[in-house]
Amino acid sequence: MKVKFTYETYKSQTVRLVIDKNLSREEKMKISLQTALKSATAGIALLATLPAQAGDFDGVTLQAKLIGGQQYEALYARISEWEAETGAKVEVISKKNHFELDKEFKSDLAAGTLGWCVGSNHSSFASQYPSLYTDLTPYLTPEFIAEYVPSNIAASKIGDALVMLPRAQFDVSALYYIKSLYEDADNQAAFKAEYGYDLAPPDTWDQYKDQAIFFTDAPNFYGTQYAGKDEAIVGRYYEMVIAEGGQLFNDDWSPAFNSDAGKSALSWFVDLYQAGAVPPGTTSYLWDDLGQGFASGTIALNLDWPGWAGFFNGEDTSKAAGDVGVKVQPQGSAGVRTGWSGHHGFSVTESCDNKEAAASLVAFLTNEDSQKLESSAGPLPTRTAVWNHVVEQSAADPYRSEVLVAFQQAASHAFPAPQTPYWIEATNLIYPELQAAILGDKSIDEALQDASDAVDEMMQENGVY
Amino acid sequence: MSRLKLPPWFVLLLPAIIILAAVVLIPLLLSFYSSFTSYRLTRPDTLYNWIGTFNYEKAAKSANFWAAFGRTVLLLTIALNVEMLLGLGLALLVNKVTWGQRSLRTIMMFPMMFSPILVGFQFKFIFNDNVGLVNNALQSLGLSDVAIPWLVDANLAMFSIIFAEVWTSTSVFAILILAGLFAIPREPIEAAKVDGCTSWQTFRHITLPFLMPFIYIALAIRSLDVARAYDIVQIMTNGGPARRTELLWTMIGRTGYVDAKMGYANAMGYISIILAVFFTVFFFKKLSAAREELGMAR
Repeated sequence: MKVKFTYETYKSQTVRLVIDKNLSREEKMKISLQTALKSATAGIALLATLPAQAGDFDGVTLQAKLIGGQQYEALYARISEWEAETGAKVEVISKKNHFELDKEFKSDLAAGTLGWCVGSNHSSFASQYPSLYTDLTPYLTPEFIAEYVPSNIAASKIGDALVMLPRAQFDVSALYYIKSLYEDADNQAAFKAEYGYDLAPPDTWDQYKDQAIFFTDAPNFYGTQYAGKDEAIVGRYYEMVIAEGGQLFNDDWSPAFNSDAGKSALSWFVDLYQAGAVPPGTTSYLWDDLGQGFASGTIALNLDWPGWAGFFNGEDTSKAAGDVGVKVQPQGSAGVRTGWSGHHGFSVTESCDNKEAAASLVAFLTNEDSQKLESSAGPLPTRTAVWNHVVEQSAADPYRSEVLVAFQQAASHAFPAPQTPYWIEATNLIYPELQAAILGDKSIDEALQDASDAVDEMMQENGVY
Repeated sequence: MSRLKLPPWFVLLLPAIIILAAVVLIPLLLSFYSSFTSYRLTRPDTLYNWIGTFNYEKAAKSANFWAAFGRTVLLLTIALNVEMLLGLGLALLVNKVTWGQRSLRTIMMFPMMFSPILVGFQFKFIFNDNVGLVNNALQSLGLSDVAIPWLVDANLAMFSIIFAEVWTSTSVFAILILAGLFAIPREPIEAAKVDGCTSWQTFRHITLPFLMPFIYIALAIRSLDVARAYDIVQIMTNGGPARRTELLWTMIGRTGYVDAKMGYANAMGYISIILAVFFTVFFFKKLSAAREELGMAR
């Protein structure tokens, strides 16, 4: 056989095929066809055993659409390291928040403008674009994937397809509370007299409700607050339904929340509102309003995301600084803790013409060094080794240790948003009904019946069942 | 072979026709067509899924859609009337000013210069129940000891939105009516004074009829504006809570872009256009009648 081809493994460990120049044109054609097939198979097999973050991609330019914001920039500064290592270029063609990116992705899908390769993704949005992103499994080794926290990898899949790699921007909510309220002897005595058990940071949602009502001194001080609209309130309701032992959807995606668990979950929101234990405007609050509210020192208990930990305890940013306690989130009557979670990730488009390079970039942006860099600023990692690293690093700072221990526990109870492409559409049907019950426009039964009917109709219209 | 000869008027108009077709007609036809399909932004192939009048029937049967329609009419009626009365008052006052009137006119137009998004954020903060300006002022002055839920209460939320709309657009009326005041001939007013008319009689029977065409033009323009109210409401309440401030375009915007159901959103949009067409025709009829009364050509 006159064919001479060699696998040259460079420092970058990619495969290069060299065909002998002295062959005839026909032979070359024949060989190139055969070898193209062989090399493709061999290349994929070899790549699958190599660290995915290395590669020789000279001359490759990848277009990327990334989530924008000060807190994400440190990681993007590392892109130049990957460029230097691989010879590829990254062109960031869009930088927006996730809601804006979401609209842009939908427009891209509609217009077919899918020339870009790498996109920021989020576990709560991913299921809306089932055809946009490719399965990353063929481009990564099983060992590499195993280095991520398993629950995060599970939440990064649509069916069996790994559509994104999680970055160190993991979100699950734990309980923040004002410590001094619990240390106050008068509070302890009065609470015990009224409710018959000792005052301590709550471990169940019923205790949470009792304490929120107990601490309220409106309009200057409220027991708690909750996100009151859009996906936010439905997410909170969803985790509460789970904690009460129910489900938001059945296996066929028909609505399942018009149940005892669903009603008892909604009554938690309604009771707090009717008792005046939350600010009256809470039905219009989103995350920023909640964060600012707790930092204003006028809220006793607050279920919130890890990103606020520093802000809540910062002398310049929070009136509650120095008085903030953090604890794993309470459990519902079914003995299950809430744990609606989400994480940011990076995905590679199905239409990308250089998926190996794109997968390599995505792996690089979520590898151990990248996650150490991101999590050093506060956000939670999604790699086991990096979790251990951040816990060790914070040993000297008691508040930071408390935060990390609480959130590590919180993460162990985490579960993603329902993975249906119709999640956001369902939330838009559910949240006005939840609000109607909270504000007293409808009874709990009426509101859940209406929401359930609307979701059922929507799912059927979309041909889900 | 003779070449096809187009009439000269058509050739001359052709560039305009092509541009109009490209920027107006084609998008309009496309969106109209898509309202008969199950078009979803996230699934481009659904653009070819013809479902007849399903979207229109669905909208026609939707209680939420008609509630939003009614609320939009309510907003339109109240906002237009309040803006017209305030604008008229403002224009009459400014018209009396003899020194610094130009500066005053410029200052009067300031609210119009703000982006509606900014106005939305401004009033969202002002009416916030916890940290807002209004509640803090009321509590500090001892006028209230509760946190008034301005953006939550069914009536107060609509009031807050109307307040923001009126704040930002009253000057449209004021400016147009002021232009009308400048155009009024002096003679009839002087004749009325000689005949012993009171100021009210002069205003009611001479000034106001002269101003009516200007008022109707302002009403027509603003009715189109308010009928598609979106930005301010989107920021202040996003149609909530519990759909208490849901207007047509917040609903349509959410259906189209968040739920990605563009076909259904377009169908609702086309039904909503009825509202804009009705108000435009109504005000133009009134305008013609007012001009006729003044003896102007129709």
